[in-house]
Amino acid sequence: MKLAACMAFLLALLSSACFAQTTLPAGNNKVTGVVHSAKDSSVLSSVSIMVKGSTRGTTTNTAGTYSITAGTGEVLVFSLLGHITREVPVAGSTSIDVYMQVGEMNQLSEVVVTTALGIKKQQKALGYAVQEVSGETMAKTKVPTAIGALTGKVAGLNVKNTTDLFQNPEITLRGVTPLIVIDGIPDPNADPYKLNADDIESISVLKGPAAGALYGALGINGAILYTTKKGRKGKLTVEVNSSTMFQTGFTKVPKVQTQYGNGDAGKYAYINGSGNGTEGGGWIWGPKLDQKDPSTPSGYYETTQYNSPVDPATGKLVPLPWISRGKDNIKNFFRTGILSTNSVSASVGSEKGSFRMSASHIAQKGVVPNTGVNNTSFSFGGNYALTSKLSMDAKLTYNREYSDNYPTVGYGPPNILYNLLLWIGPDVDIRDLKDYWVKGKEGLQQKNYNLSWYNNPYFVVNELLNGYKRSNSFGQTTFDYQITNDLSARLRTGFNQFSSDKDVKEPYSYIAYDYISKGNYSVTTASYFDITTDLIINYKHRFSNNFNINVTAGGANAYRNEKQLYTSTDGLTIPGYYNMSNSISPIVSSNYLRERRTASVYGMADIEAFRFLYFNFTGRYDKTSTLPLQNNGFFYPSAGISAVLSDVLQLPQPISFLKTRASWAKVNTGFISNGSDPYAHILTYNIGAKWNNVPSLRWPARAIQPDLVPATVKSGEYGVAAGFFGNRITIDATYFRNREYNKIVEVAQSQASGFTSMLKNANVYERKGWEFMINGVPVKTKDFKWETGVNLSTMHVWLKDATDDPDGYYQNIKEGSRTDKIFISASRAPDGQAIYNSNGMQATDPYARFFGHSDADWIYGWQNTFTYKNLSLSFSVDGRLGGLIYSTTNQKMWWGGTAPGTVNNFRDDANAGKSTYVGPGVVVESGKVDYDAHGNIISDTRKFAPNTKAVNYIGFMQTTSGQMLNNYFYYKGTYLKMRELVLTYNVPGKFTKGVFNSASVSFIGNNLFLLAKMPNVDPDSERDQLQTPSMRSMGININFKF
Amino acid sequence: MKRFNIIAGVMMVAVFVSCKKFDSFQENPNNPTTADPSLLLTNLEMNSFSTIATDAALASRQLVYTQSSSNAQYYGWQRSGMSYSNISQAVKMELEAARVGKSNYRYLGKFFKSYYAILMTQTFGDIPYSQMMQSLTNNKFDSTATRPVYDKQQEVYLNVLNELKIASDSLSGSSVAITGDIIYGGNIDKWKRLINSFTLRVLMSLSKKESNATLNIKQRFDEIVSNPAKYPLLASNSDNGQLKYYNVTGNQYPFYNSNSMKTDYYLDSTFVDILQDLQDPRLFVYGQPTVASGLPANDFDAYDGLSGSANLSANTVKKGQGKASQINRRYAYEAINEPSLLIGYAEVQFLLAEAAVRGWIGGNAGDYYKKGIEASLNFSNFGNTYSSADIQTYLNQPAIALQPGNEISQIITQKYISMFMNTGWQAFYEQRRTGTPVFETAGGGILNGGKVPKRWMYPTDEYNNNRVNVENAVKDQYPDGDNINGVMWLLQ
Repeated sequence: MKLAACMAFLLALLSSACFAQTTLPAGNNKVTGVVHSAKDSSVLSSVSIMVKGSTRGTTTNTAGTYSITAGTGEVLVFSLLGHITREVPVAGSTSIDVYMQVGEMNQLSEVVVTTALGIKKQQKALGYAVQEVSGETMAKTKVPTAIGALTGKVAGLNVKNTTDLFQNPEITLRGVTPLIVIDGIPDPNADPYKLNADDIESISVLKGPAAGALYGALGINGAILYTTKKGRKGKLTVEVNSSTMFQTGFTKVPKVQTQYGNGDAGKYAYINGSGNGTEGGGWIWGPKLDQKDPSTPSGYYETTQYNSPVDPATGKLVPLPWISRGKDNIKNFFRTGILSTNSVSASVGSEKGSFRMSASHIAQKGVVPNTGVNNTSFSFGGNYALTSKLSMDAKLTYNREYSDNYPTVGYGPPNILYNLLLWIGPDVDIRDLKDYWVKGKEGLQQKNYNLSWYNNPYFVVNELLNGYKRSNSFGQTTFDYQITNDLSARLRTGFNQFSSDKDVKEPYSYIAYDYISKGNYSVTTASYFDITTDLIINYKHRFSNNFNINVTAGGANAYRNEKQLYTSTDGLTIPGYYNMSNSISPIVSSNYLRERRTASVYGMADIEAFRFLYFNFTGRYDKTSTLPLQNNGFFYPSAGISAVLSDVLQLPQPISFLKTRASWAKVNTGFISNGSDPYAHILTYNIGAKWNNVPSLRWPARAIQPDLVPATVKSGEYGVAAGFFGNRITIDATYFRNREYNKIVEVAQSQASGFTSMLKNANVYERKGWEFMINGVPVKTKDFKWETGVNLSTMHVWLKDATDDPDGYYQNIKEGSRTDKIFISASRAPDGQAIYNSNGMQATDPYARFFGHSDADWIYGWQNTFTYKNLSLSFSVDGRLGGLIYSTTNQKMWWGGTAPGTVNNFRDDANAGKSTYVGPGVVVESGKVDYDAHGNIISDTRKFAPNTKAVNYIGFMQTTSGQMLNNYFYYKGTYLKMRELVLTYNVPGKFTKGVFNSASVSFIGNNLFLLAKMPNVDPDSERDQLQTPSMRSMGININFKF
Repeated sequence: MKRFNIIAGVMMVAVFVSCKKFDSFQENPNNPTTADPSLLLTNLEMNSFSTIATDAALASRQLVYTQSSSNAQYYGWQRSGMSYSNISQAVKMELEAARVGKSNYRYLGKFFKSYYAILMTQTFGDIPYSQMMQSLTNNKFDSTATRPVYDKQQEVYLNVLNELKIASDSLSGSSVAITGDIIYGGNIDKWKRLINSFTLRVLMSLSKKESNATLNIKQRFDEIVSNPAKYPLLASNSDNGQLKYYNVTGNQYPFYNSNSMKTDYYLDSTFVDILQDLQDPRLFVYGQPTVASGLPANDFDAYDGLSGSANLSANTVKKGQGKASQINRRYAYEAINEPSLLIGYAEVQFLLAEAAVRGWIGGNAGDYYKKGIEASLNFSNFGNTYSSADIQTYLNQPAIALQPGNEISQIITQKYISMFMNTGWQAFYEQRRTGTPVFETAGGGILNGGKVPKRWMYPTDEYNNNRVNVENAVKDQYPDGDNINGVMWLLQ
């Protein structure tokens, strides 16, 4: 009830405001008319009409009509964001229709961007950073997700693209995950596959808490707003956009050694593949390949192998020559991937309304055989002026993602690279394994060179099947009601819904770490629904040329409901029959229901003063179901100021535009961790395992503070934007500093207390960073234009106060230091040299030791477009500088024996049973070191001497992975990637006349080349857990409109 | 304006009607907040009776690991973890038992708390005990609760012995029956047998403190043994405190189908020697014949081991030549294999035998000892690999009979053999207490200066979350600081 009262109060406030201002000074005539866009003759609403030199003013309604009282000698001033202001003398007319020209967009003072709640505002009036990217930029070159197309284009937005098929790119904005909003409706689930890139009109990135403050807790990390295309007034237009790209080559592929085969300690002899001999352990530390041996029939050293025939006389395996058959296993296994994107859209409109419909299909054929993803979308939207005051707008999109099989990612047996790259010797030719069943045991036993640890990659891709189907629906309905010229109301309801169905078919004889499968089938079905309803009331009034306000108040309610059911067999009675009824042991099943609700009221006031000062204020009050009742309501204020100095000051000639801005916001969140569990504030039992069908429960080790309050971010953001030489060059710089406190974190306590930690409000962090954008048009002639843009950003987080720890630590992080510290446990001397044990292996430190930082120092992007007559060439380059990334692939290559660096004479010695390798580093000769409880050295009297203990090279690598030779597998994350290249030919009108309105053909390329510090893997995803090789995509885009 | 009012009214209704009230979201529909103690008992039993640990076998020179250098095998270990999260489950069970008035669960709770306290004090020395569990029991989160003080090891033992006695004395068949019991199916008598037998183990682990009047271990031991009506003991293998495995995912033998168990675990040569010297048929169920020998599985000469202290490559070379015995196939290929023992009948007999030798109790040490051996052979007789005649032949060997002056060493050797891949770290702790058998440390892979560690360092989380108390505990006990060679009170 408190909420309803609040709403009623706001409504009352607004209505009184509106009645107070409806009395206009008397004039002579009533002038009416319609305002149109000169571009497509569509009607324009919200056009401000002022009587010049007076305080009388009005705006056009949704039908584009206006009515104002003006004297015959007076002049009407028509102005609208993004359009050139027009002045029309009344001159006795009672009806004046006006066509307004669209303003030149590089006029910085006229740039319009979409802000929170989908409200369009002049960028110059904003006190915070917003960057808008046009949908055009993703029209030609295609990546599987729309968000992926933003990579490198937005300062502060880090898109970590994966090389793996059908995996979500990870996105962070200023280091945290932003909210996704589609046409004003938050999409907290943020499925990046559900939006058709060709439907996107523009993407607006609201970078910080101030920009996102109106979204409340959801917007605490900023927001990415998608605005989709709408129908346009005018005759029918149809657009067809088709891209086909082929993944033709490797941008980055691991290089493996080809001189030593499977085996251990330099020996290999296949017995049964299951580990009674040298083959079972699965190492690639076997004998040298291609060694001449005149005593054998082949002339090469021979030993028994997995494909040895059985001698019918002795029943034993016949030795085969030990030669390098599999030098190109990786390349021989992969195929050419295809990404094909086709879309068609149609739009038509009249005076009263318009609609647009579109369909798209994305077909992806994976580079891994028998993998692929299809993605189909249909959307329909329209708007209609129901009366002169009431109009509506609605859109509905249906999207279906479906894959019969996509690769499993991460280090482990189901990942084909586990068996194709890391754990296969070049003695095996992968192509010999294509026929993957053992003869006579089809469906029961896979054929492979090792049957204790590894799977045949062809068996994995053809039999271990990950299916995924997901149907998304989303859309919104909006009613706009123009109550008076100054007052309007909007009701918008939007929803996101999906149902998904994931199934995994696990064949007989599939080898996991701790079992060999008897077949299994699991199904996970999920359904999700959220609905958000906003009622927004807007009042705007131009009091004078020097004072102008725009007030919005609203209320919102958001509800979401999520259900999941997981069911799995325990073994399959009949192999290959994937059905729950085929389970050997009882079916295993679990499910959950999650509901969450947030109710809100909010308000916003924009004030423009003296035509150069802009103030923005917002406030929001949320009540959320995800906190204890006594603390579930909280308020978020924000304020911003922007001063367009170039509008008031006479600046030196080169400076054509100068604006400074500042904003402040305090945003709370009642969502614990990422908010996915709405019951995270309630302490409950965990469901335990069953033993022989007896159920069990376990009380959690983590307590929960009973009176949790929301976590808070206080942000301050300061920026300057400047244009030079008639805005040919523009610069935008932003500095932000967020203070994050009352964080809901797990504070550890002695486990002897009964809990290992408590979820509570604690700690203070500071998040600071810079963002820069420089855009320019260095060359512009009649036929040729070069546009270029660079963006750069940096961001780190510091722990300012570990509120609950007397020593000032939170986990390993000490107050005052950055939170992205990496710690390792390998023992090192103060100068960084490895310390060895008496057995010649590197010692382990009893404390976690600081090794480096993981954050990038900078991330950057650089876009260029060259236009010459009908030709245009654009390319985008981006990457990061600094920060360490751990590489699992490289570590496993050294550990297992496939890294080219392991080819050396020590390895030959080890194969001969000799211990000749001395690990680089030192041993402790004398003295001792004392540490405090956190591992800081208190006293150190150690004397070091070089390590001289010679050990067996293979044993050394198996124990240490040669980590000290490879910076402990933390590589500098610095890289530069040629992200995309588009060469477009716009077919001249004289050829298309009568057939198309316009047509273009483009050559397109993605991921074309990479310069990186990190070997063997693509650092784009900023992590490496054994990734698919990075592929280069090239193809053609055709676009025509008629 | 009238139409506007109607529309506004409809809008308001649309926004705020059909919403569930906020207080209806304050209950998690997926998980309970209160429960019958039986549900906690099942979980506690699953954890406490799961004692199969390869590291214990590596540290006890029974197994050798060939995939990389193992810190357990080369004595290069550092820290261990604590078990308070399991004690929390026992305490929560006690709280739920008090809530619903099912007192038997409270006494079982005392047993589980004692079990884990002993596990930890044997690992580290002093531990938090008297001040533990305050956050859970009293909902206290001030610094005295979240940073409990450490108690002297002697205090821990004394309290545990008293608690075990209360548990045994108080468990009652006339109270509300125990359900959810996957060990004894709610049989109170068997629980008493388990608790009393475990008490004997705790008392024997204090054998160096025989003369300590506070603890009075001799009298406590005798009080139990001489009063079988009040304090019954495990009387056969069917009374074993053991967790049986089932061929259902998650309920299988922990190394069932483990790739590593199939390829990387070999018998230690010192262990093979002991079994060969005694012509012990358990060799056939513990190991596999070597590939190179070509001999049948029931030939003692078919077996050879790797050296637990030799460097990795020396072992991988010998393994590659097929000259080493892998651990028996059943540990990786059998879903049920053998049950996991918390404490078994054989151990009780060995405890009685040792107590008789030490003069704590009457009775014939040799009889207890042979009953223990026989029980162990029966327990380990996977797939009836050997016959009962084989068992008798084994028992009748002169080398088996207790020899005066050497009894304790023989008893502990048999206990050591019987605990292969079972009963957690008990075999290692028995060796730490008695020195039997001698763990070989001569090879080139050995760490820790060739010394067998006496303990583990306290875990990092205690240094982070309870620093002052853990530092004081270290200062009180170990003059050389928190290291793995410190000699705790128990061993002094």
